[in-house]
Amino acid sequence: MNKGSEWELLDSAEKSAQVIARPSHTYWQDAWRMLRKNVLAMIGLFTIIAIALCAIFLPMFSSVSYSDQQQGFGNIPPRIALTSLGDGSYVYVHSEYKLIEVSENGEILSAPEPIEKNDIKSFKTYEINGKEVTLDYSNAKYAKKNGGAKYKILVDGQEVDITPVKTVWNKTNLLGTDGLGRDVLIRVLYGARISLTVGLVASVVNLIIGIIYGGISGYEGGRIDSIMMRIVDIINSVPSLLIVILLMVVYKPGLQTIIITIGLIYWVGMARLVRGQVLSLKEQEFVLAARTIGVSKFKIIMRHLIPNAMGPIIVSLTMSIPSAIFTESFLSFIGLGVSAPQASWGTLANDALGGIRSYPYQLIAPAVAIAITMFAFNFLGDGLRDALDPRLRK
Amino acid sequence: MFKYSLKRIVSMCITLFLIATITFILMRSIPGGPFTSERNLTPEIEKALMEKYNLDAPLHEQYFDYMKGLLKGDLGVSYKKKGVTVNEIIAQTFPASAEIGVLAVVLILVIGIPLGVLSALKQNSAIDYVIMIIATIGVTIPSFVIGTFIMYVFGEKLAWIPAGGIEEWKGYIGPVIALAGFSVAYVTRLTRSTMLEVLRQDYIRTARANGLSKWRVIGKHALKNALIPVVTYVGPMIASILTGSFVVEKIFAIPGMGKYFVESVTNRDYTIIMGITIFYAAIYIVMVFIVDIAYGLVDPRIKLKD
Repeated sequence: MNKGSEWELLDSAEKSAQVIARPSHTYWQDAWRMLRKNVLAMIGLFTIIAIALCAIFLPMFSSVSYSDQQQGFGNIPPRIALTSLGDGSYVYVHSEYKLIEVSENGEILSAPEPIEKNDIKSFKTYEINGKEVTLDYSNAKYAKKNGGAKYKILVDGQEVDITPVKTVWNKTNLLGTDGLGRDVLIRVLYGARISLTVGLVASVVNLIIGIIYGGISGYEGGRIDSIMMRIVDIINSVPSLLIVILLMVVYKPGLQTIIITIGLIYWVGMARLVRGQVLSLKEQEFVLAARTIGVSKFKIIMRHLIPNAMGPIIVSLTMSIPSAIFTESFLSFIGLGVSAPQASWGTLANDALGGIRSYPYQLIAPAVAIAITMFAFNFLGDGLRDALDPRLRK
Repeated sequence: MFKYSLKRIVSMCITLFLIATITFILMRSIPGGPFTSERNLTPEIEKALMEKYNLDAPLHEQYFDYMKGLLKGDLGVSYKKKGVTVNEIIAQTFPASAEIGVLAVVLILVIGIPLGVLSALKQNSAIDYVIMIIATIGVTIPSFVIGTFIMYVFGEKLAWIPAGGIEEWKGYIGPVIALAGFSVAYVTRLTRSTMLEVLRQDYIRTARANGLSKWRVIGKHALKNALIPVVTYVGPMIASILTGSFVVEKIFAIPGMGKYFVESVTNRDYTIIMGITIFYAAIYIVMVFIVDIAYGLVDPRIKLKD
């Protein structure tokens, strides 16, 4: 038998081909890689970043602030129908029967004061570009019942065609104005600041209370644990929204109160989660090792147990931000939110509710903003859960 | 089972007592009495009012009085509506909330669970994606947005449903959908995810291998186990839906408890706030209890500890 022909040395290239390994990644690198592959989660993440950046910076570049009221420019929609007065000047006939001077491409020029106004005969006369323009809406009531033109416009006594020549986007106030002439876009962006602040700060308050409470309860175990968990059970058996409303009645409504009450009530879920994680982690060897070399309780919880439970905690945090925003907008909606002229998305929606028949765009803007933010956080949360849960790893 | 129930009932009473105490303390810690906001009252009238409602008594006496009344089921008298008791107000407003609530709960269960099951069975198909997209939209849009849109589109523009009130049957459509919207979507998502988990279990394969029909396996073996998290969610949800969503009742002008609660919050009518809170908490606690009992029925593996 010729041994040499059957057994020979492998060259080194072939040896390395046998090594089944990939570059080792840390937990967080792995999670980030998983998250990056998740298209929806990334869309969510970038949407949140975009909303936050817009909310912080866009109002800085605007000439008007969220509380600037413009007399006469109230309730102008984002889409305006132009009526030609001849000679290249255009007006927008406001649904409150007044004329707003608008340029051809949709810039609001002025809201002229009528030189003559008669509420009984239902007409208003303006002077626009040296011409006498009369808006006669005496037919409005009749037209409401029977159809037909609600108003007519007379330029120097001559009736003009009132069919809009075209409909353009409002260039001055992109999302229109509210009842007091405040810019809706700026107010929605400003509302984003408030809503996101509430969501973020309240969630961080939840996180801190939850980690400390759950950490102590889980680590101590035994009697202390069961007492602490009974307290959590009691808090949990009261509908949390009721407590929030009660606290809002007791304390002065305002941004701080909202953040504090939401933070004080919704930590219960976080505490339970942390406790569960700590309970399962504390029996492991590395904790025992830390204990034998005399690390303090607090340090074991903060340095060894919590970092190992960070995955589920972060998922829960991303999910608690939208629910805090939800709660805030809900409270604002029933009139317990921030006080005017401050605005959150909830108060904006609430303010718009009264005029929904005539000015639905005022509700659509904050409603869409809330929905997009909710979407983004939900997608990001789902993605993070998939990325951070080792059981779902492939 | 009996011992467990007894223990739970005792702890429910304690919780309710604590809630009543906390609400009492919160309400009394508000600066100023319930009459301070009204037009300038002369000191004499204010004193008379305080006397009438027994507000001049020492705090502990008021507390014991209130608790005594509570034991008898008496929730006190409204401060703002002359001569009306809180019990009367609840008796008047709860039925409207409950009617809409029951319809909403039925809608949630009848639509949410089957859609979730369907979505799980057809995982990654077009049907699954459509259902999941709609469900995700459903959980992300607040009920006041859904409600106002329904009211605006179907109530104002198309005039298919009345713009408010529940005098005719059509009036129920808007509030029921707005109230059920979030929970339908949530239950669908929950059912789908737990169903997917259960369908991957070995015993499902075994059941199929033993020759049981597909629907028997799904209905009897899979769904029953998948419903446990759903039951957990549905219990407290029923309580909050039955007592009425504040927002939906406000939008659709329904004379229900939620709307009344919000009104009394703005009016600072403290006894009503307290009464409704306690009433709501009681329903909530009972619902959680029923859920715990239901666990044992859905899944015999869950033993109720004595």
